[in-house]
Amino acid sequence: MKKRAELIWIVLVVFTIFTYFLGQFDFVNTLMVGILLMTTFIKGELITDYFMSLKNVKLKYRMIPTIWLAAVMSSIAVAYYLPIQ
Amino acid sequence: MSKIVHLKESYPPGDFAIWIVIYIELLTFGLMFLGYAFSRRADIELFNASQSVLNQASGFVDTLILITSSYFVVKALNTVKNARIENIQASNESASRWLLAAILFGIMFLINKLLEFSDIFSQGINLSTNTFFMFYLLLTMFHFMHVVLGVVILFNIRKRTKIGCYSEQNCRGIESGALYWHLVDLLWIILFPLVYILR
Repeated sequence: MKKRAELIWIVLVVFTIFTYFLGQFDFVNTLMVGILLMTTFIKGELITDYFMSLKNVKLKYRMIPTIWLAAVMSSIAVAYYLPIQ
Repeated sequence: MSKIVHLKESYPPGDFAIWIVIYIELLTFGLMFLGYAFSRRADIELFNASQSVLNQASGFVDTLILITSSYFVVKALNTVKNARIENIQASNESASRWLLAAILFGIMFLINKLLEFSDIFSQGINLSTNTFFMFYLLLTMFHFMHVVLGVVILFNIRKRTKIGCYSEQNCRGIESGALYWHLVDLLWIILFPLVYILR
């Protein structure tokens, strides 16, 4: 796709605006934490797949940053969702 | 009907060494992100109150700047990789312009961050104010240093484009520099919602 970089940039900007407005208007509640972490994961995947060009390399190399992203996002989710004793 | 087959590359782009650096950075920042998230559980009210001091608009602008700068670096790399033998010099000149834009955006990020730090310090906040600000300053300043290094790398790559150094066959250097810059971007897009937004 000829304009792939432009498309990825637009998606990243849209997700960033979404994140900012959630924070600015104090919409960050329990559900939104999950949605924010999910959009951050997608943004990270777009950067590694398309900007870092890992989309077309062998799966084992592509999976390293994906596993890292998933581990970090899910651990943050645990820290936010786990009830405090 | 013809079928297009996309073959997977054997290795990721860039030098082996840059990937070692990237993995170490991911591990280091990953642990710091988790340190922040789990330390917050000890005093959520303190973290939320301290977070409200931060300028979310500044963090938002920083994110847009880095994403756009990363896009410019992608354009620079694509320009070099798609060059034909007869127009290597022209494609290097074009890549040089994209890299200049990326460097300028990197410098804009640094200036914006310095203004933010100056605002925070003018309020008497420092590393020992509380746990939130310890993490905030540690994470953002550590990231700041990575941006400084990234700008220096981009500057050096740009110098090489000036002498028409890169082509489709010889682009490891620009690929490695680009990867480092995207890493800086990747780390910030996690840092921004974690420290500025999530509460």
